[in-house]
Parts: sequence; C-alpha cells; structure tokens
Amino acid sequence: METNIWKKRIDGAARAIGRQLCMMLVAIVIVMLFLAVSGYSPLIVWQGLGRAFTRDLSGTIRWAAPMILSGIAICIPFKAQVYNLGVDGQIYLGAIAATWVALAFPPDCSPAALPLVFAAAVLAGAAFAMIPAVLNLYCNTDIVVTTLLLNFVGRYLTEFMAAEVMRDQEKITQVNASRTLPESLWLPKLAAFGNSSANVGIYIAVMVAILAAILFFKTTHGYEIKLVGSNASFARYGGIHSNRVLLKAMALSGGVAGIIGAIEVTATQHRLIAAFNPDIGFDGIVVALLANNNPLGVLISGVFFGGLKNSGNVMERVTDVPNIVTQIVMAIIILTISANMTVCRRKRKKEALSK
Amino acid sequence: MAFAIELLNITKRFPGVTANDNVSVQVEESEIHGLLGENGAGKSTIMNILYGMSKPDEGILRLYGREVEFHSPMDAIRQGIGMVHQHFKLMPDETVLRNIILGWTPGKGLVIDEKKAVKDISEIMDKYGLKVNLKAKVNQISVGEKQRVEIIKALYRKVRILILDEPTAVLTPAETDALLETMQRLKEQGCTIIFITHKLREVLAVTDHVTVMRKGVVTGAGPTVEMNVGKLSRLIVGKEVSMEIPMKAFNPGKKVLEMKHVSTALRPGKMPLKDVSLVIHEGEIVGVAGVDGNGQSDLGEVIAGLIPVQSGRLFLDEEEITRKSIRQRRKKGIAHVPEDRLKTGAAKDCTISENLILNHYYQAPFSKNTIMDHKKITQVSEDLCGKYLVKTPDSTYTIGTLSGGNMQKVVVAREFSDSPRLLVAAQPTRGVDIGATQYIRTKIAELRDTGRGILLISAELDEVMAMADKIVVIYEGELVAQFGRGEADEYEIGEYMLGSKRREVAYGD
Repeated sequence: METNIWKKRIDGAARAIGRQLCMMLVAIVIVMLFLAVSGYSPLIVWQGLGRAFTRDLSGTIRWAAPMILSGIAICIPFKAQVYNLGVDGQIYLGAIAATWVALAFPPDCSPAALPLVFAAAVLAGAAFAMIPAVLNLYCNTDIVVTTLLLNFVGRYLTEFMAAEVMRDQEKITQVNASRTLPESLWLPKLAAFGNSSANVGIYIAVMVAILAAILFFKTTHGYEIKLVGSNASFARYGGIHSNRVLLKAMALSGGVAGIIGAIEVTATQHRLIAAFNPDIGFDGIVVALLANNNPLGVLISGVFFGGLKNSGNVMERVTDVPNIVTQIVMAIIILTISANMTVCRRKRKKEALSK
Repeated sequence: MAFAIELLNITKRFPGVTANDNVSVQVEESEIHGLLGENGAGKSTIMNILYGMSKPDEGILRLYGREVEFHSPMDAIRQGIGMVHQHFKLMPDETVLRNIILGWTPGKGLVIDEKKAVKDISEIMDKYGLKVNLKAKVNQISVGEKQRVEIIKALYRKVRILILDEPTAVLTPAETDALLETMQRLKEQGCTIIFITHKLREVLAVTDHVTVMRKGVVTGAGPTVEMNVGKLSRLIVGKEVSMEIPMKAFNPGKKVLEMKHVSTALRPGKMPLKDVSLVIHEGEIVGVAGVDGNGQSDLGEVIAGLIPVQSGRLFLDEEEITRKSIRQRRKKGIAHVPEDRLKTGAAKDCTISENLILNHYYQAPFSKNTIMDHKKITQVSEDLCGKYLVKTPDSTYTIGTLSGGNMQKVVVAREFSDSPRLLVAAQPTRGVDIGATQYIRTKIAELRDTGRGILLISAELDEVMAMADKIVVIYEGELVAQFGRGEADEYEIGEYMLGSKRREVAYGD
C-alpha cells in the first residue's frame, strides 16, 4: 500500500516534469522556425540558452529568483480559482516599502535590519493585494480587472515616489531614483560567482517555494484553498468560509510579490528606480501555468524562464537577434499549454460521453 | 416479424474497461423494447453507438435488415432514430414551437414558415394524442410537458425509432401513466421504442421484449410475458435482491428537529418555503413527497444552514439553531446528503479521501495545528471505502472517476459515518443503480433504528412510501398534507403533489 502510493507519486511527478520539458521543447522548435523564416540562424536560441546555463549562469540565477517567486505568487490564488494579475503592482509596493524602511536606517546600521526591510515589503504587497479582494467581496468587482488596473497604480506610485517623495536631492541624474540604500542592507551576492548579479535571492525563492508546497500539500489551509478552487459550493456546504479563503490566498500572493520587490531593491538596484520591473508578474503566469500550479514544478519552470530571460540578454549582446525573441518563446509556451489543456479537456469529454 | 434494429456482437473498449463485450440487441418493428441494467452496465454505451455518438470497436449495426454505419447523431436522425435524453435539451426562453422546429425549420432561406410548422405539428399531436401549448415558453411548462415536447420534436423529424432514456425518473405517478399510454399509442402507429429504465414495474407493464445487461454483457433477453420482478432483478444484479428494507417497529423518541413557521427568501429558479412547520423525532423517518421544484431544495438547505431563514425558527434538540452557521450545525449533529451531488456534494477534481474528510479535516485525528496527517487520512478513507462498498482501487483516485452510484456512496459514507442526530437526505438514490439504492436505503434504515431523526426528501414516491414513518406532501413551498405510514395510496398522494387537493395538516405530533 505504502510503496504503491509512492510509486504513483513518483510516476506522476516524472510525467509532470516530462510534460514541462516537452512543452518547452515544442515552443523552442517553433521559435526556431520563426527565426529561420526571418533569415536568422535557428540555432541562435540554443546558443543563447546554452550560454545562459554555462558561462552566464550567474545571470540565470539572478533572474530565476524573481521568476520562481512570481510563479508562486500566481499559483497560490490560482489554486482557489482566483486570478491575481496584479503581481507587478504588488512588486512595486513591496519595493517602495523596502526602500522606505531601509532608508530609515543610518548608513552604518547592522545587516540584522534586513528582515525588517523584507517584512515591510511583505506587508505592503499583501495589503495592496487585499484591495481587489475586499472590493470583490463587498462590491462584487471582478478580481481580474481590478488587479490588472492596480498594476498601473503601483507602477505610477513608484514613479511618483522615486521622482518626488523619495528623490535623491544630492545627485542630479536623468533617472528618477531614491538615495542609495545603506551598504550593509544590500542583499549579499553569491560568493561562488564573484562579482556577478547572482545573489542570495535564489535561496529565498527556493525556501518560499518549499513553504508553498508545504502549505499546499500538508496544511488545512492548502486543503481549503484547493476545495474552494475546485468546487466553491461544496466547500461552503462543508462549512468553509470561502471569503476568508479568498482573502488568505490574495494576502499570501501579495506578500510573496512583495518579497520580489524587496529582492530587486536590496540585491540589484540598491535604490528605488521608476519602472524597474520588466513585467515579472506576467512572466509568473506562464511559469505557474507551465508548472501546472505545483510549487515544486515552479522551481523548474522558474529556472527555465530565468535562463530564457538571461539568454535574451545574451543573444542581444552577441548577435543581432533582438531580446524580444524571448517574449515570443513565452507567448508560444502559453499557446502550447492552452492547446494541451484543450486537447486534454476534449479527451476527457469524449471519455465521459462514451461511458 | 422483421427486426427494426439489430446490434450484433458489439464490442466497445475504453482504456481499462470493456463497456460492451459482444453485446447483441435485437428490436422488432413496432414494439416497445425494455433495456435494463444498473448504472455502468453498458446501456448508455450501446445506445450511444445506436445514436451515432460513438463507434463500436467490433460488431455491426443493421436497420431494417440493411447494414449501416453512423458517424454522428445527424446520420442516426436521418435514418429515423430519435433520442429523448434524461436531461432535456430545450431552450427555456423560447416557445415550444421554436424548440420543436429548431434545426428543421420549414420555409425558404431566412424566412420561417411558422404556419406550415404549426400545421405539421398539430397533425402529429392529433395523431399521437400528445397535447402541448405551442405558444407557451418552455420555462413556463411542467416537466411532463417538456418531455412531450421532446417526443414531438423527435416525431417532427420523422423518427420511426425512439430511444427514451429513463423518461419516468422525473414524473409523478399520473404523468408516468400518461407517458406509458402515449408509448402504447406510438407503438400502434408503427413507432419502435427502446425504453431504458430502472423501474421494473413499468417494464413489465408496457414492454413487449426486454434485454437485460450487467457489467457490459447481456445477461438475459426475451419476451416480457416470460419475465417477473424476481427474475428481472436477478438478471440485473446477478443475485436475488429483496426489495423490502428490514426496519424495527416504529418507536419514536424525543423531538430532534422542530421547524416553526419557516419561510425562505425567493431565489432565481427555486421555490421558496412558505410557513413550513415540521417535527422530526428520534427513530423517525419523515418523508417529503412532491414534484421536483416545489420547495424541496429550500427545505433541505435551510435545515443544513446553506440558505438563511427569512422568518420562523429552527430547533435542534430543543436548542435554537435559526442563526447558527453551517459548521456549528454540523458540529451539533446535522448531516446532509445534498440533492445535487455534483454541484454540492462532491468536488470532482479532488480525491476520494479529500471528499471524505470535509466535515472533520480541521480536527484531530486528521490534522493538528493545521498540519494534516495524510497517513491517518488515508487509513480512515480506506476504511470508509471498504465499509461503504465504494468500488475503487484506492482512495487517492479523484472522485470524478467514479460512477454516479459509487460517488453517492462516498457522500453517504461521509455523512452517515459520524452518527448524526439528524440526517437530511435529499434525493439520496437519484440516478443510483438498484444495488446501491438498496444499500443506501438499508443504511438510512439503520440510522433510524439506532434512534436518529431522518428527513427523507425524494422525487421517488415509491421510496418515500416504502421508507417513511410519516409522509408530508410539499406543493409550491407549502406542506399541504400529512399521512402516517400506509394511510394513503400513491394516487391519493399524487393528487396532493399536483396541488389538486389539500388538507389541514396537524403539526407537532
């Protein structure tokens, strides 16, 4: 019995990973076709990816952290059938809060203040994510629409903070940016990669993914989220308050998004810059979809997307293929996933019909 | 006599199961042919093959002696085969007329010749004695009338072979009798009918031949005159089933549930309760008879706490629960088998064990400080699956993979296993095969005999009459009559169900 279950689990995991790899492969092959048609060498994609996972591994690690976290932020509410498309806005709020708290410390403060910086970011992200959730509960607004629109609020609020409220008065630059954070509050780089962009954010990301997996598979919260997602009236019939579950899921999602903001500020930018976020939140949707909403799967697809993002930069640097190619890969992955889902649904429907 | 339909040596396999194994069904011209079997016996598979919805792996299909091959239901319809599904396929906001002519509109180009349609349909209605108001909207007519519309729709398409899939499941006794009469008339006019049903009485009353299936094979076929209830049920379930449910003598105890003048608010598509008062005692089954859609849903849900009480009061064991939450009521001992197990009773993408622990997942032994104990959960689920005869390899399968009867057993296992004070069982055997039905009824009787109160809401009058110690009839949200066991026959109760009669109801005792 026991071994049977494990066998089934390992079987399932292997199949899920195989499916992920398959879809990535299909997407890459289609992009190769695009490149060939447009007169580029189709092998460029492989070169770019190859470099991203060898010589330029540090860049991949740098990008994998936000990709993983963003995937987690998407998949928590997604499991409850709630679509949080406002991760980008929540990232901005996290960044603002992190910068604000970090700048409140004197330049020679101890790194022990770092957890406070992150806590502020988590709270700000969570609070920002609660706005659409509360609006949904009390005014019945559509969460997809409100989260999407609040992205602009987050983005322009950051611009306003960087340009006006927190602007560095001493430096006259063209970029709107705050003062630089105290150096002791910079997130440490990974020593193995020397002076590169790879930082300990990746550890935080892996930890959050594992915590999310525990939340999903081991706790009653995960059970409630899953029930509400798969049949809300069944959950209600069992006495579960789906409103509370919705708030919980959105707060967790926003909190994780806030962490991304804090990492970007403390590890990479070291100050608050307007529009620093290259739509990480939207990439997270693809990361979560590819992983079929499994936090452990998000670890794999997050690393892949980190590599993809990095390889885009690499390709642009060494060839004349524009960075935008990576976006095409993502778009095609979304298409292959939805095609896959449609086929599965049809197959299931057919089976059900003929039963 | 020539055969209208010959399905010969049909085999159809699905991954993991052989749904039809060398099945042959032969139907004579102008006869009513009964097709019997439990859920999952392969009836729907063979009918889907006949209706062109799926193709057999092996075997041939002959119509009037000519071999045919169908690629879609359209082919079947063109060959004169029509099907009336259990769940009607009508557009509620359109008129009866438009529903009938949809897809077969007379007229040229974009212009519909409604006059010709009305004339043609009236001819059909006169010929077969089927009456409906063509101008009425479908959402205004009764279930029985909707069924007539479906039959007229098939006849309008010049159907000579009619498949009726459990047509009497939703009808009152009087409506059932009318349908059976219509079937006779259709037969006299040359129609061939395949009648799929669970109800042996109807089969014996109206069919000429029967074919019985079990587990994908034909277990018996022959003229109806050679059959009887015992023989048929043996062929269906493979062993003798006693239709009697053993119960102890009626010996009611204290009041368990008391409803005092309860009304509920109007919801779209549901009939609200109007001033309903009802008492259920320990060791008593109170059966609610009524045509679907007369407030049964609200009655079950208001007691379980799924919908609020608008006015009136509810008591459980003399304690007021009018404003208590769903979970508080469950903790106090109310169990609830909801009427719609797919919508409310189960989450079909979750596993069987996740479905089983719904009522107690937040407590020991299933979880401690919000950390769930999967080992314990699996163990308890396996126990329950064994105890309640759920047919599944193990409890980690999603509940959506189970058949209707097995899914209902999971619901029953969950709700019955924590020995409730009061059980609200809404349509507990709807769409469930004979074996599982008997099993569920026996379990309900066990609960009654151990001193629980039971509210049995069922559209099956037979079930209510067989099980209930007290029968109340619900009509348009009101309780219009109350009988003790054996005080009234089904025709009398049927009259109250249709609202043509009502009498003062003595409450309380």
